[in-house]
Amino acid sequence: MTKRSMYFKMIASSLIRRRSRMFVALLAVAVGATILSGLVTIYYDIPRQMGQEFRSYGANFILVPASGEEALSETSAEAAVSLIPSDEVVGIAPYRYETVKINEQPFMAAGTELEEARKASPYWFVSGDWPETDGSVLIGQEVADTIRLLPGNTFTMTGTDGNGESFSREFRVSGVVQTGGTEEAFIFMSMADFVAAMGESGAYDVVECSISAPQTELEDIAASVTERVPDVAPRLVTRVTRSEGTVLTKLQALVFLVTAVVLLLTMICVATTMMAVVAERRKEIGLKKALGAPNRNIILEFMGEGLLLGCLGGVLGVILGFGFAQLIGVNVFSRSVHFQAALAPVTLIASVLITGLACMIPVRSATDVDPAIVLRGE
Amino acid sequence: MSLLEIRGISKIYGNVNALRNVDMTVEQGEWLAVMGPSGSGKTTMMNIIGCMDKPSEGTVLLDGIDISTESARNLTSIRRDKIGLIFQQFHLINYLTALENVMVAQYYHSMPDEKEALQALDRVGLLARAKHLPSQLSGGEQQRVCIARALINYPMLVLADEPTGNLDEANEEIVLDIFRKLHEEGITIVVVTHDPEVAQEAQRTVILEHGRIARIVVNESGKGQEGE
Amino acid sequence: MFWRLVNGALFRQKGKMLMIAFTIALGASLATAMLNVMLDVGDKVNRELKTYGANINVIPKEASLLDDLYGVDEGSGVSDRYLQESEMGRLKTIFWAFNIVDFAPYLDAKIRMPESEDAIRLVGTWFANRLELPTGESLDTGIRNMKSWWTVDGEWLSDGDTDAAMVGRLLADRAGLSVGDRLSVSLGDKERNLTVKGIFDAGSEEDERVYVPLPIAQEMAGRAGLVTGVEVSALTTPDNELSRRAAQNPNSLSVKDWETWYCTAYVSAICYQIEEVLTDSVAKPIRQVAESEGAILEKTQLLMLLITVLSLAGAALGISNLVTASVMERSREIGLLKALGANNAPISWLVLTEILITGVIGGVIGYFVGLGFAQIIGQTVFDAAINIKPMVIPLVAILVFLVTLAGSIPSIRLLLSLRPAEVLHGR
Repeated sequence: MTKRSMYFKMIASSLIRRRSRMFVALLAVAVGATILSGLVTIYYDIPRQMGQEFRSYGANFILVPASGEEALSETSAEAAVSLIPSDEVVGIAPYRYETVKINEQPFMAAGTELEEARKASPYWFVSGDWPETDGSVLIGQEVADTIRLLPGNTFTMTGTDGNGESFSREFRVSGVVQTGGTEEAFIFMSMADFVAAMGESGAYDVVECSISAPQTELEDIAASVTERVPDVAPRLVTRVTRSEGTVLTKLQALVFLVTAVVLLLTMICVATTMMAVVAERRKEIGLKKALGAPNRNIILEFMGEGLLLGCLGGVLGVILGFGFAQLIGVNVFSRSVHFQAALAPVTLIASVLITGLACMIPVRSATDVDPAIVLRGE
Repeated sequence: MSLLEIRGISKIYGNVNALRNVDMTVEQGEWLAVMGPSGSGKTTMMNIIGCMDKPSEGTVLLDGIDISTESARNLTSIRRDKIGLIFQQFHLINYLTALENVMVAQYYHSMPDEKEALQALDRVGLLARAKHLPSQLSGGEQQRVCIARALINYPMLVLADEPTGNLDEANEEIVLDIFRKLHEEGITIVVVTHDPEVAQEAQRTVILEHGRIARIVVNESGKGQEGE
Repeated sequence: MFWRLVNGALFRQKGKMLMIAFTIALGASLATAMLNVMLDVGDKVNRELKTYGANINVIPKEASLLDDLYGVDEGSGVSDRYLQESEMGRLKTIFWAFNIVDFAPYLDAKIRMPESEDAIRLVGTWFANRLELPTGESLDTGIRNMKSWWTVDGEWLSDGDTDAAMVGRLLADRAGLSVGDRLSVSLGDKERNLTVKGIFDAGSEEDERVYVPLPIAQEMAGRAGLVTGVEVSALTTPDNELSRRAAQNPNSLSVKDWETWYCTAYVSAICYQIEEVLTDSVAKPIRQVAESEGAILEKTQLLMLLITVLSLAGAALGISNLVTASVMERSREIGLLKALGANNAPISWLVLTEILITGVIGGVIGYFVGLGFAQIIGQTVFDAAINIKPMVIPLVAILVFLVTLAGSIPSIRLLLSLRPAEVLHGR
């Protein structure tokens, strides 16, 4: 039998035959590692998770005709939209506006992709339903109040189409929109209905985009749009982008500090537990010294145990920590969190280091004492 | 040259004088007992001989090396190479089997050798219980493992502290029997005890009182007598 | 004798007991800090969310929300319904006055610039107006706080300026204006020369407007003491079923529900209270802000709640684990007590009492350390002190008690199962 295999045999025996104590120590390390990997995963995932929540503020990026242009041609709008990374798009709603009349009173009609508008502006409060069939529209609260319309009512809209010819069409109100903003004075209809009434123009007045990305990335997108599609002027809705940045930074700082405090305390807890478990073995250390073991050997043996415990606890922690983060992600944001691959080695190293250090303190103090005192003592 | 030569050692703990100016020698192959009531300085003596403590004054020559001035680090290696320790409390590592406990001593000394360790257990009559944990062994058996461990590295001096203190009569007899055998093989033994019956077995008994050597008795009835 | 033993353990085993007390103190401080932060995080984040600006818009009854941007209103440029500027102070007298963070009245008018046919919107408003309240307090309020996302070249106006204006970026670019330039504006037959003190980027249609102190706009429009509307930024509670019903029609609620609703800071309740104090007004929640605030607040609170619960569970496990480890260490002592003839019950009581006394000491120290941690978090993240909630004290006490108990029980069971002979002899 070689020296090395004896070394491993001793460590393995210590871990296996002292099950209850080692379980206590392993539990401590695993709890610490779980909290570490769980909280750090959450910390890194917050901008992504919360960023989605912030999209309820609606469009943060709009495309308007460049100065000098009358409208936004469909082709250049499409070209500009194609520059936005599709996995970050929450909703992209193009709008066309025309003045129309109902009962000889002027109103604004807006044509849009209703499905997209709904995604891009989740804060719209619709009493009734979103339009599903041709010929049904959403009207703003103010319009509804002015001409006394309720969901289900029909009304006649008149106006002039693109060719200068007047039209008159029947529409059914499917829902009333409340936003507290100017949207309440509009009549929203699907682009198809709008085109059928006003005629094809091949252009939009504005395209509202809700993109799940931080301000800097939106600025990059804006720059590339300006460069490649010169007749489109991209603009950031700074009220939304800037404020999102501010609030997200605060939230991340909050979780960071909380993580730091929790980690600090957990690590101390792990260390004290390890110390208690090792301090119990002062006698064994004294005996080994009496048998002529150099301090280096004794430290190596305890470090070996610590290393093994740290590794085991770390692996458990990585797995449980991801579960912990996933639990929070699913419960709070109803979305799963990304596994931070880089975090696994960090957790492992941290738990090995802390376990090792925590072992070192009592082992060192025991090896410094004369074996006679340790063996006789108590 | 004597194996162990103690010259004028004193040991002072704070204001307690545990040993006062003690002289003593142990010859190669001798079986010596150190006896005395509690507080007479037995344990201090044993610690100093076992390289686990240093005298405040005087010199201790073990195999020609002055262990009273060596560093703690060197003392550890001297202890490892020259001394086999046997304790009243046995002090076995409770998560290692009897065999492994013996091998631990080999491990720190040089190379673990299972065959040799088994032979050592055989010598104390425990071959059948080699794979048992200390908790599965009786007190006497544990002490025999301890003896096997003390012998495994062929020490110059076997130092036993109350080796029978925790044992019943039957086991005491077994342990003493092993000591007799060892003595016959020419191994130097120092036994620290307060039990006159155990001390009697030795060739010479040094009796300590209040940190001084009160008298030295050469045992007529001691088995060791024959060796002289 | 019992107390003598307890005393002995506490004072003679100082090292070990200190370590347990220390760890319990850590756990208690963690619990205190996390609970205090968690209970206050809603309020703090709510304040942060005020960077999104107003969440309530107050306009006169029957006025249109839609300005004349799209040419619907063919009128003279000023509509004929107004609120009274003098009533603004009343906003701070409503039930939820404390939750009204900022507000700014505004008066819109349509002006023309020379060499241009287009009508431009002129907005007179408060920038950081000092307002003496009926309660005797005073308050600085205006758009300077509310439009935190504006980037301003030059400087913000002050409410006393008599010939200064801020111009939106798009308008300034089109008219070739830069900071310090003179700008002449006319409304009807009134003309006025203004100095461009600042050019702002708002990233919205505001970039096409000219902002001036309220008195200038009132004078030009000939509407002294009147405003077109008020933007209000208020701290609100996320909507629930009750507030949604109330928003439809507050009178449909039962008396009890109505009271609950009125005394909760729902955006609809605050709107209702604003309508009560401002003559002929309609207060509308700006859903874009109000709804999103609710969503984000709820998520943040839930997030903090879960993090708190899970970290506390972790800490509890860790501490009870340490208690287990420390009690296990004492197997020899307990073996001795048993050998001396002690029964299981007194031994258990002894160990429990010791641990609980240690726990109480640790818990008290931990509570105060935890308050410190909470304040560090509050100051670093929100630049504001965290409110200390007394309800945290019993929570922490119960936690400490349960944790030490949970930690002691398995180890005590283990120790009681020991046979004294085994422990005392040969380990």
